[in-house]
Amino acid sequence: MFDLISELARYNDLMISGTLETLYMVAMSLLFAIILGIPLGVFTTITREDHILPNRFVNFILDGIINIGRSIPFIILMVAVIPFTRMIVGTSIGTNAAVVPLSLAAIPFMGRVTDNAILEIQDGVIESAQSMGASPTQIVFKVLLPEALPAIILGLTLTSISLVSYSAMAGAVGGGGLGDIAIRYGYQRFQLLIMLETIVILVLMVQILQHSGNWIANKFDHR
Amino acid sequence: MIKIENLSKHYYTEQGNIEAINELNLEVSDGEIFGIIGPSGAGKSTLIRMLNLLEDPTAGSIMVNDVNLTDLSSLNLRQARQKIGMIFQHFNLLSSRTVLKNVSFPLEIAGVSKKKRIKKAKELIDLVGLADRADHYPAQLSGGQKQRVGIARALANDPDLLLSDEATSSLDPESTKSILDLLAKIREELNLTIILITHEMGVIKDICDRVAVIEEGRIIEQGSVLDIFARPKTALTKKFISAVIDYNLPPRIVKYVKAKRPGELVRITFVGEKTHKPYISDLVKHYSVDANILYGNIDEIQGVPFGTLILDLEGDLENVEQSISYLQSEGLNVEVLNDV
Repeated sequence: MFDLISELARYNDLMISGTLETLYMVAMSLLFAIILGIPLGVFTTITREDHILPNRFVNFILDGIINIGRSIPFIILMVAVIPFTRMIVGTSIGTNAAVVPLSLAAIPFMGRVTDNAILEIQDGVIESAQSMGASPTQIVFKVLLPEALPAIILGLTLTSISLVSYSAMAGAVGGGGLGDIAIRYGYQRFQLLIMLETIVILVLMVQILQHSGNWIANKFDHR
Repeated sequence: MIKIENLSKHYYTEQGNIEAINELNLEVSDGEIFGIIGPSGAGKSTLIRMLNLLEDPTAGSIMVNDVNLTDLSSLNLRQARQKIGMIFQHFNLLSSRTVLKNVSFPLEIAGVSKKKRIKKAKELIDLVGLADRADHYPAQLSGGQKQRVGIARALANDPDLLLSDEATSSLDPESTKSILDLLAKIREELNLTIILITHEMGVIKDICDRVAVIEEGRIIEQGSVLDIFARPKTALTKKFISAVIDYNLPPRIVKYVKAKRPGELVRITFVGEKTHKPYISDLVKHYSVDANILYGNIDEIQGVPFGTLILDLEGDLENVEQSISYLQSEGLNVEVLNDV
């Protein structure tokens, strides 16, 4: 038993830095998903036919971006955008480089989640705001986003969990993080314990994300 | 004053052209509660939603206080809408806001300062009797309470006109009554014009001054509520009235009448002070006919007595006819029922 613990303790530094790298990649790409994905979703919804700013052309483009982004498998997206990653980060290896494909996957995902969350709001609620003379901007910021907030928070939780698993994939091609450790130590050097430890950390991470996401969403949900 | 001229709304669908509203004309005076009643699919919802341009008319004009809403730019329309309150069947409150924040929402849209918003919202919450619920969320309220919030919210920007889109249709009878009383009260206190649509004649009977009956996008009958109740012309209106005032013979009496082959069967409708005069005994005394009361009913429409009586008049044909013309000359509405 003590052997096991001391054996694991030898890799403490490695595990801590791997966990931090994973958290960094997830947090950074989640940030981009919020900054770019939520507006993408909002514009997609409001330009739909029968919504507050119908525009068939803009809707077609935005909806297309979301669909294309969501249909490319992450492992392929990661490789395909390497030239773009180099252009932005200067390298295609490391955690910063991994943030680029992770964000590119998370943005359309978050876009669709936001779109669905806003579509759940009853037409009547939007109409009542229109009947009071609200402008489209006021409707977005005072009606759509606040009313969809619990669903958007749950969507962010879902996105962050997907990002944890994607970030492990990014690790396999030199992105760093827990995935990188699992592949290099667990798989290539047959160190089963290390493999198990990364799995335990990833499971815990997902549990914590899901529970805190549910808790926060609940705080904002008054329905 | 609200003046609607040649208003039409057509929908173009794959199944063809649907004419929801057809060249409709309507005038509503200031301070009036005007009811629009019709069966579902008659176009009443489309009509009321055109009064603040939630629905764009295909043709025609909507004048509210001498401004034609259809001529306004989108900015001016938004400003005009702030002076037209609206309440809805499903309340349409914001679930993420408390009662206080829901009521101050239209003031936020109008750019009123926070201090003034809260003061005004609190006044209105008091007015609708929800002072102890100001910090509750809509999900914590009953249907009737939600509609009170809806009403307070609709009044936030001191509108001249309140539109009510089936506001009591999803409420139980008791809440319906209290919401209608509240609407009548705010009309008195704020001198508001109210246009409401409903499919319940009880709503019209309780608070409306005038009513229009609408069918297939057209007004088929309109007038003061008392007149319409006393002298309904169309079958649809009669059907609506019979839902709240039972002036048809109960089946038991129909059976009796058919078996007996009586003299002349008449239905008399009388309104106001006429209910106090002893017409029946006059008939019997002066026209030597026997009047057998088969069925009677006295109701009240906004404080005015309103009655229906079904009489079996027996006697010489001449006497019966004379007695009918006597009743008519007294201003009563007499209808001879040939088929029961």
